[in-house]
Amino acid sequence: MLDPQTERKTIQRARRGDREAIAELIRAYQRPLEAFLFRLCGKSDLAEDISQEAFVRVIRSLDRFDERFRFSTWLFTIGKRLLVNHQQKMRPTADSDFIEYRASDARTPATETIEIERTQQVSKMVEIAIESLVSPQREIVLLFHQQGWSVQQISTELSMPEGTVKSHLFRARRRMLDAIERTGVRNPEDVLR
Amino acid sequence: MTWRNDSRSNNDAGRDDAAGRNGFSHRAERLLVRVLLSLRREARHSSDRALDAQRAEDLADVILSDFPRRVIPFGIAALALITLVCSMPLLRDAMVGVSDGSAAVVPVANVVESSLRNHGAAMSDGIETIRAVVSPFAGESAAESANDEVEKVVPPSVAAAPFKKS
Repeated sequence: MLDPQTERKTIQRARRGDREAIAELIRAYQRPLEAFLFRLCGKSDLAEDISQEAFVRVIRSLDRFDERFRFSTWLFTIGKRLLVNHQQKMRPTADSDFIEYRASDARTPATETIEIERTQQVSKMVEIAIESLVSPQREIVLLFHQQGWSVQQISTELSMPEGTVKSHLFRARRRMLDAIERTGVRNPEDVLR
Repeated sequence: MTWRNDSRSNNDAGRDDAAGRNGFSHRAERLLVRVLLSLRREARHSSDRALDAQRAEDLADVILSDFPRRVIPFGIAALALITLVCSMPLLRDAMVGVSDGSAAVVPVANVVESSLRNHGAAMSDGIETIRAVVSPFAGESAAESANDEVEKVVPPSVAAAPFKKS
């Protein structure tokens, strides 16, 4: 994430067609956006495609960007709309590539099988917890816990009172807890380690 | 919901397996914290920063290589506008022809004819002006030419004598 001042300057350079500035914006936000979209749709390929399309659209339209707002807010809004449009055209399929996505994200060498398994277990828990959420709870949880947005930011973005956002967060956590509780993890110590 | 410190030992987690606050076990709550932390890490850069950077560079190239295609519609629009502006006189003539109900070439012929007439009038005015300027000199030149002719009649022997004969 870029700080607001750096972000503003980078956007101004990108508007003039500065390739390095464009690459800088992409570097800063591509992974957070992909992670957000992946958790919304459950498909890594789709998340990657939608993320790229969102960047293409946003950078093409930089002239229309209102600098009073954060670039990330705009980018995420467009990404989400693109995903919703896509999902309206095609029914989502089973997220069989979930493990593949998480495996590619493993921060440990591939030889450390145990660590990978543990990571996959946590990933499975994340999947179960997120899957238990309904809209707009899922989006609020992702924006708050994954993207680190403030309640105020989420409130502005989703056009709902801050109290409602907090209420959704509270209910979402309970739902996730309930989902985790119901899984009955065989080896919880492995996950919690 | 109260969020608890996740720094407790794993042995403590085992003791709380059965039940916790709000009907949830400590283990579930700690799992949720782990899940949320894992979720948070997803939004951060991966360990393979080189790959992320390469992907960003590639996408930047794609976006920039698309630029000419963005310019083409504007170019076409500008060309169409120029063509329209340049063809306005012809269109106007065509419209006049259509509104008269006669052949479209008639106004053009009229324009050419009136132009030729004006040109002819200007030419004749010019010629008249030249004549007016030249006419005062026309008499002298005629007299001079007549004198020349008279002189030619005089015999050479007489004409050569500068003085009258006594």
